[in-house]
Amino acid sequence: MKIKLTVNGLSYERDCAEHRTLLRFLREDLGLTGTKEGCGMGECGACTVIMDGRAVNSCMVLAVEADGAVIHTIEGEANGPSLSDIQKAFEKHHAVQCGFCTPGMVMSVKELLARNSKPDAEEVKEAVEGNFCRCTGYVQIVEAVAELAGSGDKGGLEHV
Amino acid sequence: MLYEFRYLAPRTKAELAKVLADHAEDGKYLAGGTDLLPNIRNGLMKPAWVIDGKKLAGAQDIAFSQADGLVIGSAATINDVLRSKDARERYPVLCACAHELASHQIRNRATVAGNVVNASPCSDMAPALLCLGASAVLSSAAGERRVPFSEFFAGVKKTVLKPGEWLERIEVPAASAGARGAYKKLKRIAGHDLGIVGVLMVKGPMGLRFGVSSAAPTPVLVPSVAESDAPEAAVAEVLAAVSPISDVRGSKEYREHMIGVYVRRLLAEVK
Repeated sequence: MKIKLTVNGLSYERDCAEHRTLLRFLREDLGLTGTKEGCGMGECGACTVIMDGRAVNSCMVLAVEADGAVIHTIEGEANGPSLSDIQKAFEKHHAVQCGFCTPGMVMSVKELLARNSKPDAEEVKEAVEGNFCRCTGYVQIVEAVAELAGSGDKGGLEHV
Repeated sequence: MLYEFRYLAPRTKAELAKVLADHAEDGKYLAGGTDLLPNIRNGLMKPAWVIDGKKLAGAQDIAFSQADGLVIGSAATINDVLRSKDARERYPVLCACAHELASHQIRNRATVAGNVVNASPCSDMAPALLCLGASAVLSSAAGERRVPFSEFFAGVKKTVLKPGEWLERIEVPAASAGARGAYKKLKRIAGHDLGIVGVLMVKGPMGLRFGVSSAAPTPVLVPSVAESDAPEAAVAEVLAAVSPISDVRGSKEYREHMIGVYVRRLLAEVK
């Protein structure tokens, strides 16, 4: 089936198998491999992208369902060598360890800040509840978002 | 990797009815996809046709009127409910249950209709819809029929939906607006998880009610618990209505114990 969609501001028109997930379409048809496949069933959030303004698990969306959609992935964050504010905050606060969860984590944070520019720590935790970090670097992620929100609210989390 | 299936996205009700009738045997209706697509991936379902109901005009809408109550369209997501001013202001217990369902990303895709049609015993939306006296409006080529949720669930993952029918909208009566309550869901982890057991208590025009998830083959409604009852009488009434099993998430005894704990807490907390 022919689909048309916008990814990171660029329009694409592609013939796409109807059983293809949006995740595979992004990675294999468009070569945008920043978005990761973790569990493939909506548990881990590594595949999170923003679709029409909402963070979604791209492993559980068919590419054909995204016909006409506006998609944002991690590749749309940096402008050349210049990192986005979220990426800079993640870097500054060491909110990245192995990095596998980071593309999805950044997308969930981006969606959160778009709908709520001043989230408190509970709202940050809820927004990334569906993003697993198996290095368990959650404290730094909440710290990074707290700085972006200008709140300094770390929700009582402490480094161990 | 998903095996090869074909995809259809009808744009009108008539077209959807025809496609569902044509593929009653080899088709599956696609709502949010957060259950269907993992099930296909895991080989639990092998439909030849996947029929997307989300492209119908207005299917995502949530609207309130005194005549029809809160009408939730077939493609309205869990987060659409949480964003709806009408739902938040008039049906706080519906939002309490919606808020406990899975993760934010899943709530952005999963639909209320899908959550109940899936008919999992651990459905988070079913306790609220049962306690609020909501109905499902089922559509097909033959027309519409209205089924109260108290008659909707037929067993584990089974509903009264017939081949060729789809859940076109959910109606939560205006008479239930303003009902107060809270939902307690026991999980293995603090983050998103399927429930070990969930207990919703609702106080409203219909009296004191409990809705229980993960405690029987279907979500359970305990329709009228006397408000003057001592907590232990209410606990006994709720326990008499459920029949939990032991499985990977918890034992029968643990579930029964926690239902009692939650009923007592809810009675103490919700005034």
